[in-house]
Amino acid sequence: MTFQRFLLRRALMVIPLMIGVVFITFMLVRIGGLDPVGRLAGPTATQAEFDSIRNNLGLDQPLWKQFSIYLGNVVRGDLGESWLSNRSVLTDIKERAVISLELLFWGVGIGALVGVPVGLRAAFRPNGRFDQFTRVLSLFGFSIPTYWLALVMIFVFFYLLGWSPPAIGRMSMLVSPPDMITGSYVIDGLLTARWDAAWSAASQLILPVICLAIVSAAPIIKQTRAIAIEVLSSDTVRYAHACGLPERNVRKLVLRNSAVPILTYIGTEVTGLVGTMSLIEYVFAWGGLGQYGLNAIISGDFTAVQGYVLVLAVFSVLVFIVIDFVVYLIEPRSELS
Amino acid sequence: MSDATQTELAHANPLPVRARVWNRFVGIFRLSPTGAIGLFIILFFALLAIFSAWIMPHDPIAAYTDKVLHPPSAEFWFGTDGNGMDVFSRVIYGAKFGFGIAIPAVILSLVIGIPVGLIAGYRGGLLDEVLMRFVDGLRVFPSIILALAVVAATGQSLLNVILVLGVLDSPVFARVVRAEVLGLRSSNFVESAVAAGNPTWRILFVHLLPNAIQGAMAQTAVRAAWAVRISATLAFLGVGIQAPTPEWGAMIRQGAEYMVSGQWWVALYPGLALILLVFGLNLFGDGLQDLMDPRRRSAK
Repeated sequence: MTFQRFLLRRALMVIPLMIGVVFITFMLVRIGGLDPVGRLAGPTATQAEFDSIRNNLGLDQPLWKQFSIYLGNVVRGDLGESWLSNRSVLTDIKERAVISLELLFWGVGIGALVGVPVGLRAAFRPNGRFDQFTRVLSLFGFSIPTYWLALVMIFVFFYLLGWSPPAIGRMSMLVSPPDMITGSYVIDGLLTARWDAAWSAASQLILPVICLAIVSAAPIIKQTRAIAIEVLSSDTVRYAHACGLPERNVRKLVLRNSAVPILTYIGTEVTGLVGTMSLIEYVFAWGGLGQYGLNAIISGDFTAVQGYVLVLAVFSVLVFIVIDFVVYLIEPRSELS
Repeated sequence: MSDATQTELAHANPLPVRARVWNRFVGIFRLSPTGAIGLFIILFFALLAIFSAWIMPHDPIAAYTDKVLHPPSAEFWFGTDGNGMDVFSRVIYGAKFGFGIAIPAVILSLVIGIPVGLIAGYRGGLLDEVLMRFVDGLRVFPSIILALAVVAATGQSLLNVILVLGVLDSPVFARVVRAEVLGLRSSNFVESAVAAGNPTWRILFVHLLPNAIQGAMAQTAVRAAWAVRISATLAFLGVGIQAPTPEWGAMIRQGAEYMVSGQWWVALYPGLALILLVFGLNLFGDGLQDLMDPRRRSAK
C-alpha cells in the first residue's frame, strides 16, 4: 500500500472516532451539574437576565439541536467562543499549542534519550545490579506526583540556590517578548537575534523540562527493558549467538529489532504525558494548552473544554500517524495497516 | 504431582501451622524481595490509618492561630500550615483517604470489569467489538484529564471521586479477563461444561472465572497505586476533596504558595507520604505480577 492511500484510510477511520469524542464531551459537560449561566449572570441577576444569557448561548434549545449546531460549526472549523472570556476558542488554542509542544518535545525527547539506553543496558544483564537498581528507580519515578516534584524543584533551585528564575511564565517580566514567528520564545528570539529574550526563555524552560523528562523516563526505561528482553530471547538473536556473532554485533541486532516497538511505545506514551505536562504547566504558570485545558475544566467553560478535548484527540491521532510513518521508514516491509 | 501424593507427604512430614505459614512467607520474600518491601510499606500506612486517632499528637483540623507556619519543632514535628494546623497529624490522618479511596475504587473496577471481560470474551461478536472500540477511544485521553473532567462535571464529593475512579479504571480489568477468556473459550473443560448442560452464567462465573481471574488480581495493587495518585492529583487541583480536609493532595495545594517563600514543610511532608504509599503499592504490585504471570517470570 502506498503511503498516500494509507494516510487516506487512516483519516477516514478517524472520522467516526472524532464524532464519538465530540459527542461524549458534549454530553458530559451538559449532563453534569455545572451550569455556567449562574456564574455569568452574577448574584444579582433577574430571571429575565438569566433567560437572555441562556438564549444567547443557545442553551434553551433541545440537546440534539445544540449538538447538531455545534457539530456543524466544528466541521467548518469554528470551535465557538469561550463563555467566560468571549474569546475564540480556536485562536486561544492555536496560540497555546506551540508553547505546549515546545515543552512536550524537550521533555519527552530528553526522557527518551535517557530512558532508552538505560532500559537497554538493564536488559542486557537481566537481574544484574544495574537492572535491579534501575527497576526500583523507575518504579519510584512512577510514584512521584508530578506537581509535587515541580514544587520541590522550584523550592530548591529558586528559593534555596537561586539558580533559576522565578517560576512564573515562560519569560522574565523584565524582558520584552520577541516578535512572534513560531510562537516559541526561544526560537523566535534566536531568529530575530534577540539573544536576551532567547536566553531568558531558555532558562525558564529548564525546570519544567527536567520535571517532564524525569516523569517520562521512568515508564520508558521499564518498557524498553521488557521489549529488549523479549528480542534477546527471540530466534533471530539465538541464531546469531549460535553462529558465533561477536557480542557487539548481537547488540546491534537487538537494537535494530527493538527500535520499532520502542518507538511505538513512546508514541502512546506521548498522549498520556499530556496530562503530566498539564500539571507541570499549572504549577509553573506556563500559559500553554495544558494549563488552558485544566482551567477550562475546573471553571466549567463548556466550549473551551470541548475544543480542548477535540484538539487532544486530533493530536494523539496525529502522533500515531507520525509514528506509523516513521516505523514505515525504518522498516519498509512492515505493513501499513 | 497428584493431590493424593501431596496429602501423603503432608501427613508424613507434619509441620506446625505456624512454621508452615512462616516458611511460605519467607518463600515469598525470597521470590520477590522488592515486593515484600512494598508490602511492609503498605502495612505501615495501613497501621497509621487504623490507629491514627492514637498516633496523632494534635487534632488534624484544630487551628493554632497563634502558631501559623511554624517550622518543624518538638511540639509540631512537621511544622504547622497556613491555618496553624499540625502538619504531622494531618499527614497521618491523610493515610485514611489513601486507603479509603483506593480500596473501594479498585473493588468497584473489579466488580464492573470482570463480568464485562467475561461476557465480552465468551460471547465475542458485536458486543465485544463495540466494547473494545470504546475502550480504545478512551485511551486517546490522558487518564488525569478524563478523571478531572468527569468529576468536575458530575459533582465534587468524596463518593463521586471513588465512583469515577472505579468506573474509569474498570476497562483495565475487563481487558485482562477478556484476553484470558478468549484463550480458554474453546478448551476442553468449557466445552464439557457446555455439553453437560450448564447455563451460561454458571459457565462464566463457576467455570471460567476462577481460571481467568489471576491476571486481574495481579493488577489490583498497581491500580490501587493509580487510584491513590489520581485522587491526590484531583485534590491538588482543588477538585473533589477540598481544603482544610487533611488529604495529601489538598495539603500540597495549600503548601504550594509557601514553596517560593521558604515554608517548605507544608507541602513537602504530605508529598513524601504520598510518594511512599504509591511506591509501596507499585513495588508490591510489581512483585505480584511477577509471581502470578508465568510469562513475566520466564522473561527474567
